Formats: sequence, C-alpha cells, structure tokens
Amino acid sequence: MLLSFPTAGGLAKQVPAWPERRVCRSVSNAHDIALTPTRQREPREVAHALRARPDPSRRPRSLYLHVPFCFHKCHYCDFYSIVDSRDRQAAFVDRLDREIQAIGALADQPPLRTIFVGGGTPTLLRPDLWERLAASLRTNLNLSNPDLEFTVECNPETATPELFDVLQGAGVNRLSFGAQSFNTAHLKTLERWHDPDSVPRALELAHAAGIRRVSLDLIYGIPGQTLDEALDDIERALALGVTHLSAYALTYEPGTAMTARRDRGEFAEPDEDLEADIYDAAVARLAEAGLGRYEVSNFARADHECRHNLAYWRQEAWLAAGPSASGHLHEPDGGSHRWKNVPRLDSYLRDDFEGLAPVIDYEAPDALRLVAERIMSGIRLAEGVDRIAILDAADRAEPGAAARLQAAEREPRERGWLLERDDRWVLSDAGFLFADGVARRFLGVLRKVGPG
Amino acid sequence: MTDLQIRNFSIIAHIDHGKSTLADRLLQATKAVSDREAKEQLLDSMDLERERGITIKASAVTVSHERAGESGPEPFMLNFIDTPGHVDFGYEVSRALKACEGALLVIDASQGVEAQTVVNAYLAIEQDLEIIPVLNKIDLPSARPDEIAMEVEQVLGLPAEDCIPVSAKTGQGIPELLDAICTKLPAPRAPKIKQARGLIFDAVYDDYRGVVIYVRVFDGRLRIGDKMRMMGLGRTYQITELGKYTPKPNKVKELGPGETGYLVAAIKTLGDVRVGDTITIDHDPAPEPLEGYAPPRQMVFCDLYPATTADKKGGDFEEMREAMGKLALNDSSFTYQTVHSEALGFGFRCGFLGLLHMDIVQERLEREFDLEVVQTAPTVPYKVDIRTKGGEVEEIEVHNPADLPDMSSVIDIKEPIARVEVMVPKQYIGDVMKLALDRRGIYKNQTFVSETRDLLTFEIPLAELIFDFYDKLKGITAGYGTMDYEVSEYRKDQLVKVDVLINGEPVEALSLITHRDKAEQRGRTLLVRLRKQIPRHKFEIPLQAAIGGKIIARETIKGFRKDVTAKCYGGDFTRKRKLLEKQRKGKERMKNIGSVSIPQEAFMAVLDTGE
Repeated sequence: MLLSFPTAGGLAKQVPAWPERRVCRSVSNAHDIALTPTRQREPREVAHALRARPDPSRRPRSLYLHVPFCFHKCHYCDFYSIVDSRDRQAAFVDRLDREIQAIGALADQPPLRTIFVGGGTPTLLRPDLWERLAASLRTNLNLSNPDLEFTVECNPETATPELFDVLQGAGVNRLSFGAQSFNTAHLKTLERWHDPDSVPRALELAHAAGIRRVSLDLIYGIPGQTLDEALDDIERALALGVTHLSAYALTYEPGTAMTARRDRGEFAEPDEDLEADIYDAAVARLAEAGLGRYEVSNFARADHECRHNLAYWRQEAWLAAGPSASGHLHEPDGGSHRWKNVPRLDSYLRDDFEGLAPVIDYEAPDALRLVAERIMSGIRLAEGVDRIAILDAADRAEPGAAARLQAAEREPRERGWLLERDDRWVLSDAGFLFADGVARRFLGVLRKVGPG
Repeated sequence: MTDLQIRNFSIIAHIDHGKSTLADRLLQATKAVSDREAKEQLLDSMDLERERGITIKASAVTVSHERAGESGPEPFMLNFIDTPGHVDFGYEVSRALKACEGALLVIDASQGVEAQTVVNAYLAIEQDLEIIPVLNKIDLPSARPDEIAMEVEQVLGLPAEDCIPVSAKTGQGIPELLDAICTKLPAPRAPKIKQARGLIFDAVYDDYRGVVIYVRVFDGRLRIGDKMRMMGLGRTYQITELGKYTPKPNKVKELGPGETGYLVAAIKTLGDVRVGDTITIDHDPAPEPLEGYAPPRQMVFCDLYPATTADKKGGDFEEMREAMGKLALNDSSFTYQTVHSEALGFGFRCGFLGLLHMDIVQERLEREFDLEVVQTAPTVPYKVDIRTKGGEVEEIEVHNPADLPDMSSVIDIKEPIARVEVMVPKQYIGDVMKLALDRRGIYKNQTFVSETRDLLTFEIPLAELIFDFYDKLKGITAGYGTMDYEVSEYRKDQLVKVDVLINGEPVEALSLITHRDKAEQRGRTLLVRLRKQIPRHKFEIPLQAAIGGKIIARETIKGFRKDVTAKCYGGDFTRKRKLLEKQRKGKERMKNIGSVSIPQEAFMAVLDTGE
C-alpha cells in the first residue's frame, strides 16, 4: 500500500464539516462563541407571552426577521451572521415559515404596522426563497394595513432587477442600504467588501422596481478618516437623493475583529474630538438638506423616519423570528417579556418547539426596569419621552421613584443637555452627544437599593 | 574540644558568580551531605525547607574536615556562615562577617570582578577579615583565571597568586580550597574574659520551636538549661536547645569559644530578639557586651495596597495584614505600618533595606500569600529640620512626601547619599559619567581594573539611585555595567516638596520630594501621565504642580465632547442598560477629589514604578 502524505487539500477534507463554528470562532461576536447548547432553553415563556392579550395599544404591531447569511463578515459587525458553505437557505426558509406559523397561531392578529428584515445579508436569499417567505408572511400574519412599512436591509452588491421585483411584489416598500463609506480605503479598513459605485446602481434598481423609500447607513470615525472625508461621504449620500440616513460613529463591539485589531495596536484610539466635530458638522449639513435628526444617529425627511425602529425606541411590543432575533411583548398587568432566539443556525434548524425557536437571554423586566429602559431609549429620540407618563409609571413601580427622577433631572438640565418641552424630556442640540450621560443620571436613581 | 581547630568563614560573591554552588560543593566534599543532596542548592532552597519541615536554610553550617598534616590528619571544625536569607545586602553581609575570621570572595573566572564583589570585599576588609579570593567556573571555555586574578590584584589589592582557581561544578580545586581555609584563615581569637559572651548574628522564626537564634560564642560557654540574658534588650530566657546544623540539626550540650551554632529558648517572636545583641549568662553576666552592630536601617520605603477593594477596610486588606505579620516574623529587617491614602484606601507603609529587598517582599506577598498588591513609587527616608511652634529646631524623619510638614516650617531637608561603585567597560565610561552627573552624582574615583574595564566611584543621592539608575545603567552599557552601593551619609541639598493639584485641590498621595532643579521636569512628567490616566469629565480639569503655592507646571484635561452610544436597537436594550449601570457604578468607585473622579488605575499608573 502506498503511503500518502497529506496535502493541503487532503487535510482540508479531513477537517470535520462544521463550518459554522469555525466562522464563529474567527469573526463572530463573543457571546455567540460562548454559547453552548446547554444555555439555550425551551421558549415556554415566549409561547406564554404570545398568548397574552394586553390592551390593544400594547399588542405587537411590528415584526423583526433575522436572515443570518453573509458572504463575508465585515470586521465591525457584531450581528449574528454566518458564511454558509452548505446550502441551507431553503432549510432556513422552511424553518422560518414554521416559526412564523407558530407566531401567527398564538399571537393576536391586529394588522402589522412594520416589518423589518435584517441580518446578516437578507438580500443574499435567493428570489424564489423570498417568494416563499413572502407567502408565509401573507398566510400567517395580518398584512392588511395599507400603510405597512416593510423594510429589508440590502447589501448594494446583491442588488439585481429580478430580486427587487420579487421584493416589491412581496410588499417590500423600503430598503436600507449598507453603504458605510464611499471611500475605498476606508471600506477596506472596515473589511467591507463592496465597490462604492454599486450603491448608486443599487438605488437606481430600487427606483426602477418601484421601491421609493431608501435609506443609507454610513459609518464615521473610521481609523484614518478625516473630517473632510467623512463629510464627503455625507455629500455623496445626499447627492443620491436618499430621504433617510443613519450615520453611526464606528463602535468597537466586544468580540469583533475590529476590536481585536485595535487592541493589537493596529489603530490609534478613536479621537473623540474628531468624532464630535464630524457629528456636529453632519447634523448641520443634513438639517440644511432637509433631513432632520429624529434619533441620535438617524436622520430623515418628515414622514420618512423608520417607523419600525421608532417602535423599539418607544418601547412598543414587537414580534421576532429567525436566529438571534430579539422580541419584546407586554403582559396585561404591566409586566413584560424580552428574549432572544438562539443565535446559531444549526440549533435553530434542529430544535423546533411547535414551531417556536429555542431562546437564550429570556427575562421578564419588572416595571421599574421598564421605566429605566424607556428613558434610556426614548431620550435618544428628538421627540424625547413623556415626562408625566414616566413619573407616573415610576411611582407606580416603586413609590418615591418619581421624586428621585425629578431630583436627577436637575443636573443635566443645568448643564443645558436636557430640556422640558410640552411636558416631555427632550435632549437639547448639545445634549444629543451626551445622551448616555443623561440616561446614566436617571438610571442611577432607579437602581434597586440593596444587594445586586 | 581543644584538639579541634575551628575556622569561621563566610562566602561572599557577586550575584550569579556561584556562591551557592560552591557552598554545596564544600558540604559535599566534607561529606556533610550526600552526593544526591548536593544536586540541590542546600543553603538557600526554600522549597526544600518546606518539604522537610525543618530549617535547613541554615545561617550557619558546621562541618568537619581533616587536613593531611605532617604528623597525620588534623581535624578541623569548619563553620560556614551564610550571608543570611536571600540577598547580599551590605548590612546582612556585614553582620554575618562579624561572626567570622575569614571570607571566601568568589569571583566568576569569566565575568571578573564586579561592583558587588568590590563592595563585599570592602566590607570584609573593614571587619579585618582574612580574604581568600576564589576564581570559580574555571571549567568554562570562556574562563580567564589569570587575567581575572590580575583584576583582583588591581582592584582589591589582594595578591594575584593568592587566588584559588576552582570549579564548583566539577569539584576541581575544592581540596586545595579546603586546605587554604584551614591554613590561611586565622583561628578564632582566644577568650578575653571568663564570662560567656555570644553574638547574635541572625534569628529566624520556626513554626515549631519559635525563634531560632544563631550565635557565635566569643567568650565562655553557653549550656542547655542556662538562663541566658540578652544584654541589649535585658530579657532573660532559659536555653532549651543548642545545636549545629550539619546541615541537619545536630543537638549539642554546649557551645564554647570560637564555636557557632543555634539556640532555642522559647522565644515567641522575632521582635523579642535583636540581631547584633550579646548573649551572656544571667547569674554570671559579662561586664561589657561585644561590639555589636546597629539595627538595620530601612533605606527604601513604599506603600503597598491590596489591588482590589482598596476603598474599604476589609477583605484583601485583612488578608494582607496577616501576610505582613507573617513576613515580618521571619524577616526582621522589614517594617510595616498601616496607612490610609485618600487615593488608594487602606494599605501599609513598608520599610526595606534596599530595592532588592523590596522586590523580594513584594514577590513573596504575591507568590506565597497569593495577594495582588499595588506598590507606590519607592522613596527614601529624609531627615527634615523643622521649626516647631515654640521656635526650636527639631529633626524629624519623613518616609513619604505626603508626611512632609508645610514648607514654611521646613528649614532643611537632608537626604541619604550612597557611595556607588560601578564596574563598566571602558567604552561606556563617558555615558556612565553623564548618567551619574545627571542624577546629581559626584565623581569620586576611577580605578583601573583591566584593559577593558574600569571601576568608577560616585556619590549619588539614594533617591536618584532608586529611581531608575540601575535600569539606565544596564541600558547604556549594553547590560555589561554592574553596580552596588552603600549608604554613607545624610546631606543637605536644595530639596523641595512638589504638590500636585487636580482641579485646584492638592492631592497628597501624588506629592513628591525632589531637587529644586529637577522639580519642574519631574512635575511635568507626572502631570502628563496623569492627564493620560484621568478620564475626561464634563468640564475642563486643570492639573498643576506647585512648590509652596507657586505653580511650576500645568496640564489640562479637556472636558469630554461626547458620551453617547452610536447604536441602540431593540435587541440591545438589556445589554445597554447593564452597561450604563456598570459605568455608573464604576464612577461611584472612583476616588473623588473635589468634583473630579479619578480611577484607582490613574494613581497606580502614576505611582507604580512598573510601567
């Protein structure tokens, strides 16, 4: 018998076929890597929450779907995504269909107001699978609302006339393009693999397909990026006529390749002054172009805000399906449920609880915590939070909490960061850059006293 | 006993020149230990000590040796007196030498005479000891025994032909060395009085027997059952055990003139014993004690804090207190007292003989007691003349800049000056001179050692020496320069206290004492480091260094520009809220100086020497 020496190709074949895990280890976020099957649990509480019937204003009117496929993991991204070497798209859509069925069967059926499909790269799904997904949504959920906002995140490289026609036919009426930057060097730094010219092309295709609402995502504060280069990105986005723009300061999320590269000293620490300068200039330029800031990092023409995201920030209820998707549902008594579906495709495909997905991180935040989170997310909006309602909810959750909140509002107001307008707490122009500081101030007085 | 000749000697050497190996080889050659045991460094292996549950890290080991004489073998009792403990501190060496008549000065036959060799040799010469220079490691191909013997003659004035070449590793030259010990080293002096007098040259703590005293008897005899008296402290104890380490403990009934051994007398703590004290017999005491030596002077001080939960007394602090007590129990030259720093919470102000001692104590705390400690920058003890309220001048000793009284009452600050020997390859002499002068050194002397090396002598303020002199010396001499020092005197200089003000508030924990000419530079360096460590606040924070109210340096921490997370969507809320709460708690844990929150890490970064 011949002795064979393993060659590179030969060795590769011997590696157990577990590509998902390998991808996770190299690029995905830390909490995914740490996840073992023992941490996932049956979605009992989710089933219970779906059956709950709070008053209609607090029932879920939004749905988030997560499509985990990507052809490459960008270095800043900490969303759950995998580079799938096996073709599991059809299996995924089958499984998603079952989950949507289960949700439809359990949940009340008021017409949905918003659907948001994020990822991953949802537009990596083949058009035929998109059609099946759309059919599942139509069959199982109430899409009767003529004003439904249906957004899909889109990688500009994946745009084709065929796909957009299918999306449009499925009811998609809003696309959110991940442009990040128009500068090739900066895209390279982010390990974002697309040609900047694909963005205008994709926008034209969307327009041609009749999808009128488009949004662009930009990232600033990229290592090496100057103020002028960042503003140039804004100009190029505006030149494309978008009516919605998200501009995010680059965030080094734990467990991402970007963070690892920074920790290795590949980049200098972020320059806070430069980021603040870019932000201020961007806010001014976008306002001049008619895109008002309605959230810390989000800008839109009037009535072009992302209503789906507003639902999050306003602490409304929403449904969720797909691996790693998070949902939030209310109880009639004021209680609440938050959970996250298991962020692993193989577990998601394998484990099926009458259609529902296994979950991790389930929790039932108490009333006081809900008040805290309502302030934390609501204060990021230009509309702010309803001060009277907050104080009222705080005192109901814990007598005396309202007085503590009122004491806490003094400092940010004295600093000129927080204003009271029409009985709402809203951030001042200067205050937007200090939203976390303001939130911390309030959260500090809502924390439970005592152990923990 | 009279037919037995006694030789008491120490082995002194520069670090790594083979002192321990030579000691072991001598023990082996005299059959004191088996060949197997000789594989381990018997005299200073702490693990071994624990393994056997007895003290074999003996300060003195007694062996017998027979010299081939003209009329048959002559028996000798050889007492090795180890420079005790772990390090070759001048003080510890000299107290061991006090119990000897001779010393083996070990020199690496490749490396040659080093700074520590010189300082140790001076100590032995000061004690009037007979010195046998031993050239070790002659088995190495790089050995140059003839050249090194010339160095010994040049630098130390010991005749080159007196050097004994040996290899502690192979055993070559060991019989010759044993003969030289018997022949060249003098016998102990004859008793001067009939009453007993023994010098305590070391004491260690033993879990089972309490304090074990090492004693060298000069006059009279000590016997089991005697009531002994320590003449300095005036305390009396019943002697319950006498013995010699061979190196196994070997009990004896008495110790006579010239002999060295150990003594146990139910003494509970090391605090009850003063090394250097004289032991006599209570019912027939000696009229005068032996010439002893001053108690060890702590010349380096630093604060040690538990690395965690420093803001409240408890937890690690209590553990650390216990560890300090245990350390002090078997290291009488280490001192500690509780301190509280506004910055670092509760901790300990510790005094050490020198830098090496400090490092060792810190390492033991971490290794043996599993404690994580924060160490502040080491300082030296200053002597400060102050004018009291009554108008008289009083001298106080200050171990920490924060303890310095208001400069208006300070008349003079005096600092310890070290006599420093630096052995340096000739091509680096210029750089070393520059370094020494830069550190306020005064050039004293230059001695020819060999074609390639010179010995430079400086007087350098100890404070400058402990700062980073050694690291710098190693750096500029490509690692070849060696140094050693001895504190020689206190000297007045233009010393000032530099205060550090954060947002206008003085922070005592950050103040420092330095020379007037260097105050500005030191102050600025400190402020720059602080600026990097203190996080931005909502407002601008001025950092200032000042001498008695006059600002000498200033830095500014700008107010922060942003405090906001870019993204916050549905799935992030729990994580985000927890993060904000954690940040809030972190802020509460910081030290507040006025309205400025300073993370403990900032103090560490500024004070810690280990950058």
